[in-house]
Amino acid sequence: MATATRYIGRPLKRKEDPRLIQGLAHYVDDLRLPEMHYVAFVRSPHAHARIRSIDTTRAQTAPGVLAVLTGQDLDKAMGVIPCAAQLPEMKLALRPPLAKERVLFVGEPVALVVAADRYTARDAAELVEVEYEPLTPVVDPEKALAKGAPVLHPQYSDNVAYRWELEGGDVKAAFAKADKVIRQRMVNQRLIPVAMEPRAVVADYQPGENQLTVWSSTQIPHLLRTQIAAVLGVPEYVVHVIAPEVGGGFGSKLNVYAEEVLVAHLAMRLGKPMKWTESRRENFQATIHGRDQIATMELAVRRDGTILGLRCRILADLGAYYQLLTPLIPTLTGLMICGCYKIPAVRVEITGVFTNKMATDAYRGAGRPEATYFIERAMDLVAAELKKDPAEIRRKNFPQPKEFPYATPTGLIYDSANYQKSLDAALKKSNYRKLRAQQAKLRRQGRYLGIGLSTYVEICAMGPSSAMPAGGWESATVRVEPTGKVNVLTGASPHGQGQETSFAQIAADLLGLEPDDIRVVHGDTAVVPYGIGTFGSRATAVGGTAVYTALTKVRDKLAAIAGHILQEDPKRLVFRDRKIFLKSNPAKSLAFAEAVSAAYVAKTLPPGMEPGLEATHFFEPSNFTFPFGAHVAVVEVDAETGEVHLLRYVAVDDCGRVINPLLVDGQVHGGIVQSLGQAFLEEAVYDENGQLLTGELTDYAIPRAWDVPRLETARTVTPSPVNPLGVKGVGEAGTIGATPALINAVVDALAPFGVRHLDMPARRERIWQLIRRARQAGSRPTARRAGAGRDRRVR
Amino acid sequence: MKLQGSYTLPAKREAVWQLLNDPKRLAACLPGCEQLDVVGSDHYLVRLKLGLAAISGSFSGSVRLSDKKPPDSFRMNVEGRGAAGFVQGEANIELVSDGDQTVVRYSGVASVGGLLASVGNRMMELAARRTLEQFFANVASQLRA
Repeated sequence: MATATRYIGRPLKRKEDPRLIQGLAHYVDDLRLPEMHYVAFVRSPHAHARIRSIDTTRAQTAPGVLAVLTGQDLDKAMGVIPCAAQLPEMKLALRPPLAKERVLFVGEPVALVVAADRYTARDAAELVEVEYEPLTPVVDPEKALAKGAPVLHPQYSDNVAYRWELEGGDVKAAFAKADKVIRQRMVNQRLIPVAMEPRAVVADYQPGENQLTVWSSTQIPHLLRTQIAAVLGVPEYVVHVIAPEVGGGFGSKLNVYAEEVLVAHLAMRLGKPMKWTESRRENFQATIHGRDQIATMELAVRRDGTILGLRCRILADLGAYYQLLTPLIPTLTGLMICGCYKIPAVRVEITGVFTNKMATDAYRGAGRPEATYFIERAMDLVAAELKKDPAEIRRKNFPQPKEFPYATPTGLIYDSANYQKSLDAALKKSNYRKLRAQQAKLRRQGRYLGIGLSTYVEICAMGPSSAMPAGGWESATVRVEPTGKVNVLTGASPHGQGQETSFAQIAADLLGLEPDDIRVVHGDTAVVPYGIGTFGSRATAVGGTAVYTALTKVRDKLAAIAGHILQEDPKRLVFRDRKIFLKSNPAKSLAFAEAVSAAYVAKTLPPGMEPGLEATHFFEPSNFTFPFGAHVAVVEVDAETGEVHLLRYVAVDDCGRVINPLLVDGQVHGGIVQSLGQAFLEEAVYDENGQLLTGELTDYAIPRAWDVPRLETARTVTPSPVNPLGVKGVGEAGTIGATPALINAVVDALAPFGVRHLDMPARRERIWQLIRRARQAGSRPTARRAGAGRDRRVR
Repeated sequence: MKLQGSYTLPAKREAVWQLLNDPKRLAACLPGCEQLDVVGSDHYLVRLKLGLAAISGSFSGSVRLSDKKPPDSFRMNVEGRGAAGFVQGEANIELVSDGDQTVVRYSGVASVGGLLASVGNRMMELAARRTLEQFFANVASQLRA
């Protein structure tokens, strides 16, 4: 049976888009149920305080209020917010859904109000009087480790959540024989994910049927169902979770939140449907944050640029409590710290620390943008120190293509790659030699062009269950209707990635159908088999492979049926154009729908074959996949104002085989833009009292269309051997590869001023100060204003 | 947030002192003051309606006066909270004679939390100054009356 690839690899427009752009999609907040009540939360204005008392009298008696609850009222009813991560000697930090004795971050919910409409609920929430006794907040992660620092969790003696170490190769020897050791402290700042749709939950309980239905804007409906059942202490079959249209997640909805279990609990407790929609301010305070690592990198190098060893110490600010994967994220940084370089000896030490802030957790890239930033910045520092071209330093340390699968000293097996090829492609596409010549020429004129490289590798398609906290497989069911139309049910729960299109392409090719013959169904735990979800760039590589394998089971059965009817060997049959026919004689054929009908009518089946046409597959990957690429950023820095003009951005990515190039481009574009946000604009700022100063979009700058030049993308294709589709994943590649390219470009532009590093976000006042300091120190070049007439500006 | 400044009032020290220590007249001068109850000597409970940028709301809290050295100086502790967050502050207030006028010098620290801090931080200092200006202007017109 041959499979023609008529749709795989084609830039099909997304099947999802018509409903989205016409406003016909349904998000959680669009739901209206009879007698629905609304929930509002009373949140702590203090970063660290003891709760002296909560007076709910005025709120309780306000007209329209159904209930007001505090942590004490929930005491016996509920478990704690789950954390799936387990690290050796990790301290527990159990968080009740509503704070009881103490609050540990601004925005922590301490009480809730249920009312007949959302305005009444919010007004009544203001009537809840909470008496706090403020305690000294712990905000700076480095100070949190100091002796005598206030301790967040009083059952412990300090704020260290865990220490995690990893060593491979002979690190001591590597540093002993090094010609030079390059050291740099780098900050990967705290970020706020800002999904376009904030979180939202609706819950409805039907006591007759004992069914609790929870609609939530989540990336993980099945895991959420399991956890809601566990936290509420009800059998899992009671709970039904639906993730309808989800307006972005970026990891922030890969979680189980207090609000989700509380709203579910309220529906059961009060017997009315409940709704809560997060405000943007709540989203900033109480949805997970990302990144927030301080790293000290040390590279042991030989004079010729060979990297002999790497030491990295990371301080990870975890916030006050763990959310679902909080402690794990920095360990991904540790595992990927060698990047795409053959570094024989490595030592990583990670300290996770509690502070009075919202928890950090998986945010697009989750640990890998940090690793890539640290190693890619360090490679540029090596190049600068040895006065070599950054491209050549990188090339010198790549493993050769024939060395794959390549084992890293951190214990990973990189599946397949050709780093030389993607670097060559990026250098060629950007016209790197010419850019360097142009840079030299402009410098003589007092203009500062910067060229930044990043050659990245990342870990995705998460992942083998042995390496995942709660299963790393994915499920799919292919159910063919008697009329010949196909439902593909996927356990992955896409929320913007476009699997309704790409999975339909896979199904169309395998069954010889058109994409319109196929409907991809997801996000409903009562409809689709148990699944893990969409995160870690896993939906296509793991979920897509489950779909592929379930499809082959269906196709094999159909071939057997058609072979029986046509009296031909099933192996000689081809599926194409909605027909099943003999390869050597296409006239001998059966309509696809006829063969399907035979499966249900069950009169012409081969002897002993069970009727019906449905197959399920749970795909367990044998390894992660490791996409890679090479990015080139070109900036010009205005030495008078510190402004950065992003002139060009070239991205060559290799995500293995491509199902739909439009979807891949979309992912790469989005990722680069989010990277640009981290590199130049975004920073979650808490003041010394633990108040979140960047509390909404007026104070937290995310990129706008204006900030983004035309992105020049290209691909190399190195199929992954880990799955039969050969796909790797691309959902996070942009955020992983782009941040260091952008900062390397800015540092490169500032090289004439003696700048070797600057921390993100590279805002213009920071750059301006660096230039000014260099000039005051003397003997540094003066500058003319950059790029008159340039229309691309990065604030 | 540090707050420091001075304001010249059109009256002698004793008159200014009297006004600042008279709860009723003080209440009339506090911007947005909806209620002021005396709960002890030099201890008042107040309810203020304040607005900053897009946030406005009622704050309830207390004012305490201490270290009183009539008519030279006193300390003032303010604590308030509401749906929009909380305010805490402490200030030293000094009255200095300048002919028929009195210069009031204040210096103190204030901290804010909650919505006020996360949304209004950029305007906070300005808003605090403006509120103080308003307060002194009210005091001045009381003294003139």
